[in-house]
Amino acid sequence: MKIVAAGPVIPLSRAADAMLARLARATASAAIAALDGGTLLGERAILIGASIPGRISAGGACRLIAARDDFVALNLARPSDRELMPALFEDAALDPDDDAAIAHRVGNREAAALVARGRTMGLPIATMRECRPARPQSHSLLCPGLAFVGTRRGRPRVLDLSALWAGPLAAHLLWLAGAEVIKVESTQRPDAMRDGQPAFHALLNQGKQSVALDLRDVADRQALLALIMDADIVIEAARPRALAQLGIDAAAIVAATPGLVWLTITAHGTTGEAANWVGFGDDVGVAAGLSAELYDATGGVGFVGDAIADPLTGIRAAEVGWQMWRGGSGGRFGIAMRDVAAICAAYERERDPLAWRRTLVYWTAGEGGCFPHHRPRSSVPAATLGSGPGRWTAIAARC
Amino acid sequence: MKPGTKLKSAVCDTEVMVIKGGAAMVSCGGAPMVDTRPAELLAIDPAFAAGSKIGKRYVDAAGTVELLCVKPGRGSLSLDGVALSTKDAKPLPSSD
Repeated sequence: MKIVAAGPVIPLSRAADAMLARLARATASAAIAALDGGTLLGERAILIGASIPGRISAGGACRLIAARDDFVALNLARPSDRELMPALFEDAALDPDDDAAIAHRVGNREAAALVARGRTMGLPIATMRECRPARPQSHSLLCPGLAFVGTRRGRPRVLDLSALWAGPLAAHLLWLAGAEVIKVESTQRPDAMRDGQPAFHALLNQGKQSVALDLRDVADRQALLALIMDADIVIEAARPRALAQLGIDAAAIVAATPGLVWLTITAHGTTGEAANWVGFGDDVGVAAGLSAELYDATGGVGFVGDAIADPLTGIRAAEVGWQMWRGGSGGRFGIAMRDVAAICAAYERERDPLAWRRTLVYWTAGEGGCFPHHRPRSSVPAATLGSGPGRWTAIAARC
Repeated sequence: MKPGTKLKSAVCDTEVMVIKGGAAMVSCGGAPMVDTRPAELLAIDPAFAAGSKIGKRYVDAAGTVELLCVKPGRGSLSLDGVALSTKDAKPLPSSD
């Protein structure tokens, strides 16, 4: 008899499975029922050929670096973040592309002070053991809306204003469940995944109609507003000031549009200073305490999953969106990536502490190896940017 | 101005962090920026009252100076009497 070794599973796959099972029941969708958590958490890494991460994230941009008293996750995914390195460390001589020099300077700093400074500068940065809400909420009502009235569509119309992974995955899951999805991108700043990771972009954005708008243009901003008013579910992950600068007041819109469900995905929540902190899947996973759990269970320093807060949040956002739409209760709902990831970790830990520990041990031992087996999903190409404008301009003109 | 130095406006709430400096002296609302805000604010020059926006990076045409606005205010930023302009929006990462 051949003995097959139990390979690693991606930590939090079981939490993802549980959310998917609920979504499958709520939507009665066979396509959702056919999904599994490990596939959604690992498919990006497999598509880009990334291996199980240690101190450098699977995507390669985020690093766990030892500060004087704790580890810091510094995510330098954008060239504009590297430009800030001399200012972050108050050192004009620092070469922003020299990762060893950056690590050396982090080593001389106290983690919490460095992270606080980085966050005021708009950097995606976190400490391994930072303060978090004692009772994280997987979603919260930000602004009350109005109950739905009249005849509703048989399937929801979803307006996807988001980019990268979490928001587009939420819209993708709703599409799999039967929703009509319109993805809106700015002509100046389209979803960078389009060119950056085309195969993964196609997977998440197939079947969505594409509208490209010049958000500096008054008529295009009117069109955006019209698209919002005509939607059942809006998915958005902008920082508060970005919406304000476009003249979009989400609270006023949901208060005036019966049944409209507005999902706001944030990195660290919507209250206080944290509302303005930038975060991506890997650093937010660290902020959620995932790397601290890994360290405590194994003694290893590393990232859990690939930008894991993104796919977990995408699944949870789809669930919240569908539930609110079906229930007919409009409003603006906040979903914080950090809190979703923390809740998923608590779920696995409490469900079976030994299995959770074993999963983390296998994960650390697997460093440098392939992501665990998953079920490859098929995809057709995503719509060309702006290929669906005619019909939507017409809608805008009516309003 | 050393990278990482924080400067305050003498006329409004604006605060910036120096990203790229040199020997240049920047102003906000027409008055030179300072390390410690005066107890009594100076009068704002109406020619430099367009405001500063949090999170925006401000540069001069020659690219010698770059400032990150960490607190917004009524005054606008300038170098040698010429208003600084905002850098274009940061591109999103192609992955995260």
